[in-house]
Amino acid sequence: MSADTTAAISMVGIGKRFPGVHALKNVSIEIKPGEVVGLIGENGAGKSTLMKILSGVYQPDSGQILIAGEENRIESAADANHKGIGMVFQEQSLLPNLTIGENIYLGNERQFTKFGLVQWRALYDAAARQLEKVKVDIDPRMRADALSFAARQMVELAKALTLEEHAAGHLVILLDEPTSVLERAEIDILFNRVRALKSRASFVFVSHRLDEVLQLSDRVYVMKDGEVVAELAAADADVGMLHRLMVGRTQQADYYYEPLQMPVQDAILLEADQLACGAAYRNVSFKLRAGEVLGIAGVIGSGREELTRTLAGFAPHTAGTLKIASREVRLETPAEAVDLGIGYIPRERRVEGLVLFLSVSANITLADLASLTRFGLIDARKERGVATDWTARLKVRTPNINTLCLGLSGGNQQKVVLAKWLNAKARILVLDHPTRGLDVGAKEEVYELVRRLTGAGLSIVLTSDTLEETIGLSHSVLVMRDGEITHRADAARGAKPQQIDLIGHMV
Amino acid sequence: MVLVLLCLIIAVINHNFLSFGNFVRISQDAAIPLVLGLGETFIILMGSIDLSVEGILTLAAVILSMTVLNGLNDNNLGLLAVLLVLVVGGVVGFANGIVHVRLKVPSFMATLGSWFIGVGIANALLGGMAIRINDPLIRGLAIRRALGLPWGVWSALACLAVAFVIQNHTRLGRYIYALGGGEELAALSGISVSWVRIATFTLAGVFYAMGGVLAAAQLGLGNAQIGNGRLFTTVTAVVVGGTSLSGGEGGVLQTFVGVLIVSVLSNGMVLMGVPPSVQIGLQGLMIIGAVALSIDRKVRVVK
Amino acid sequence: MAVKALRPEDIRKWLPLATLAVLILLVGIAQPSFLQPGTLIELASDTAVLFILATGVTFVIMLGGIDLSIQSMASLASVIVALTITRLGYGSFLLAIVIGAIAGFLSGIVHVRLKIPSFIATLAMGGVLFSAALVISKERSITLDETGRAYQAWITSQAFGLPNVIFIGLLVLAAAHVVQAHTRFGRYSAAIGAGEPAAYASGVKVGRQKIFAFVLSAAFAAVAGVVLAGRLASGSPTLAAELLLPSIAAVVVGGTAITGGVGSIWRTLVGALIISVVRIGMTFLGVNIFAQNIVFGAVLIGAVAITIDRTKIPIVK
Repeated sequence: MSADTTAAISMVGIGKRFPGVHALKNVSIEIKPGEVVGLIGENGAGKSTLMKILSGVYQPDSGQILIAGEENRIESAADANHKGIGMVFQEQSLLPNLTIGENIYLGNERQFTKFGLVQWRALYDAAARQLEKVKVDIDPRMRADALSFAARQMVELAKALTLEEHAAGHLVILLDEPTSVLERAEIDILFNRVRALKSRASFVFVSHRLDEVLQLSDRVYVMKDGEVVAELAAADADVGMLHRLMVGRTQQADYYYEPLQMPVQDAILLEADQLACGAAYRNVSFKLRAGEVLGIAGVIGSGREELTRTLAGFAPHTAGTLKIASREVRLETPAEAVDLGIGYIPRERRVEGLVLFLSVSANITLADLASLTRFGLIDARKERGVATDWTARLKVRTPNINTLCLGLSGGNQQKVVLAKWLNAKARILVLDHPTRGLDVGAKEEVYELVRRLTGAGLSIVLTSDTLEETIGLSHSVLVMRDGEITHRADAARGAKPQQIDLIGHMV
Repeated sequence: MVLVLLCLIIAVINHNFLSFGNFVRISQDAAIPLVLGLGETFIILMGSIDLSVEGILTLAAVILSMTVLNGLNDNNLGLLAVLLVLVVGGVVGFANGIVHVRLKVPSFMATLGSWFIGVGIANALLGGMAIRINDPLIRGLAIRRALGLPWGVWSALACLAVAFVIQNHTRLGRYIYALGGGEELAALSGISVSWVRIATFTLAGVFYAMGGVLAAAQLGLGNAQIGNGRLFTTVTAVVVGGTSLSGGEGGVLQTFVGVLIVSVLSNGMVLMGVPPSVQIGLQGLMIIGAVALSIDRKVRVVK
Repeated sequence: MAVKALRPEDIRKWLPLATLAVLILLVGIAQPSFLQPGTLIELASDTAVLFILATGVTFVIMLGGIDLSIQSMASLASVIVALTITRLGYGSFLLAIVIGAIAGFLSGIVHVRLKIPSFIATLAMGGVLFSAALVISKERSITLDETGRAYQAWITSQAFGLPNVIFIGLLVLAAAHVVQAHTRFGRYSAAIGAGEPAAYASGVKVGRQKIFAFVLSAAFAAVAGVVLAGRLASGSPTLAAELLLPSIAAVVVGGTAITGGVGSIWRTLVGALIISVVRIGMTFLGVNIFAQNIVFGAVLIGAVAITIDRTKIPIVK
């Protein structure tokens, strides 16, 4: 136990807002030298925003960052590196077409350069020494893409460790979901390395796998809704306790228009049987009835994102059967899904939902121009009528139907996307994080629309930002973890499950 | 390797292929595309494209022909003229880079503009005229030989060596690969994407100018048409050689092989009596074939 | 708030037309004879071929691609006409256009199915077309004889006091405008150019639309070649070789964004007129005809730099 208890890094009172969401509210954490700090929280709790601030990608709106007791600013990723903060990302950040050695020293080759020429022998020797630190036996001259995920993870760790040669103070390494692509044995190796390296660096371990967090960390911070709600010694905590701390805000039934939740009808619109898509998910079976909201809960890596994309037509399934209106299909492109009456409300609505530089009217009619076309020409008057009709019905606030969607607020943009699918007579809507980035008022409008549409017989597959929203809106909930369905819950009106009941199956 | 197979096939069809004289002819044909290809290779490795090859080459050839001992005026700058045009090539390349990086004009547009500006200037200076080059040193590139090969060919090989060193032994070379392999990642590691881009376009410009010197030497004159059609052969050679259009894979040695394949094929077709007009079409098909067959590891949004 | 954001868009919208007006005035002031009806009609006639060529490539550019084979296609079309006009009469024009459509279809397939970037696919296709033209013309220019030229009367004669080419150009303008602004294809192209992921997610069959755009580009190029062959009474593999840059410049200078999505055939018309005015104006003012390329190159870069929408491209390659 180090006698020096000054924190290597302190974040004090950090606040950060994005349009429509207060991501961090007055967050304070400390990272002491030589310790592993765990950071857990639900999706949207603020973990990744906090880490992005620490790694220089974002700037905080308020609060201070203290490095070795002195106030500091982290201007950029490169600056973070200079100040001794290293990152090991969830998405691989090695350049696949360069060698291990080149990747380790990318951007830092000057020390090996004489007269403009890189001295490769010296660089690879140094790289080998770095790889020593993580005790991994890889030839640094190998190409990065020839290695397994686990090996690349180790290389990234080694790369982060190179910072200790230049950084003034203590090294802090951020591990962002490092285990989601690793096998059990590889995870053990990673943890052993990290423990061995504690004398040289502190670690921040961000993960959804609570058991692993408790296994590796000395202390754990729990975040919820942009705040730190608890700080515990890992030895004092258990998974159940963490679950309770992560969730548990009382839901207001009215917020999700629960009284308007109509019972599900009998007709089965979509049926999945042992559906699988590569390594992303498998053995997924469910039935979607008319008028039903089916929520899918899970964290990153659970497979729910990929399942959503399969239903929308972006990622055809590789095993199992998918039936739409009792007919077996395989959705190779979104166009096929659209023809079958499926509409997709994407996570990135500005990229995949709307063509921003086209008008409201053009966007609304984009998925069904056929019905407006006579003798090959678009009937402009009919189009105007259709656009005006939908704009009124969904209460889209726009100067007129010819305004570019660029100028609309997030909530109204979402309504235009919805209008497009309703105009195309979609019977199934796949909602992918539908309220992300929307303010409270816009969210409520979305909830109300969900109730209205399902009341009229439309079905919805919902992948939401928060567990609470999933439970509140859905008739039934599928919980996924590591590619499989781990739990099914009924969420009937007046009989909703608690978050705590579900979270155990998610993490 | 494709090249070896090709040579064998052609040798079987026409024995003349294997003669030393033919070998020299092939190397002469290949010299200029090689030098041009070196420049283009660096650009494509980065993930961009450079269409200004003909423009810079023509400009260089014309300026060279006007500044060495020639039939039009009294200039006699000798080797200094070569240096001058290399600098000019670098300057135009630099301009390409600046326009691309600072004004955010896509590389093919920026270089399309330079292509025509370069040819335009040459046209403005010469119109339909040609200037004969009398400088013995320059003419020597095409005529004088060492070990059986013209000096020009040795110059091209020297350029290859320089390009190889840059590619594999300098930071710029690695950064070019890094940009092609993953630009955001490269930027996160602290690499200045802007400067790498600008430097690479400048470097390519120098190579194209060198190609102009060799072209002027080969023809013994400088005119505004000297660049016609060279972009096509350059891109063919780079692509056929195996450098990937999405960047990050390939290199100058691959381009060397590509140039040889194209030259050998062309030579073979001549030996077999195929007219040059058909060869152009076949080259077009080769480009398509080579790109289609190259396994691209990244999913591109194709525009 | 939405209004303020549109101001720079408004400027971009009217700049080309304003530029055209200013240019005409400038040349007119320097050389009053430029403003005589006879000269202006000449100008319009000369612009026709360029405009038809540029119109075709506008369709591809609006989708976000580029077509570098149009000049080779036009030249090939002129050769086809020159070779077959005595035997096929009016059929030769149809033949050229059909071959154009097929060539465009092939370019489109290569681009979409083989996933080859459009500039490479069309650069290569251009080579193939050029090669074909060289072979079938035996590398020479073919002059049309009396009988041949008779069939071209519809191109070379006049009606209502104006050269027929102007009417042909207007016809092309009308047809192209209808396709771009009033058909599903036109709407889909705009969507694909301005937001391909969203178009794809909305069920637009993107591949099909792209292929069609290339078919149009090559077909229009063939029409341009046919008209050019009429005006020059000959066909050759290099007849239209100089027209690649001015065509692309016409599209871009007119205000169609090179990234796609924003633009129209009217803009191409304005752009083509600007190019023509600059070219003919420069001649009137005695500027070296060869130096004009320099101006074009600079204008091209300038126009792209001004009209390009930086927000749409995070990484410029």
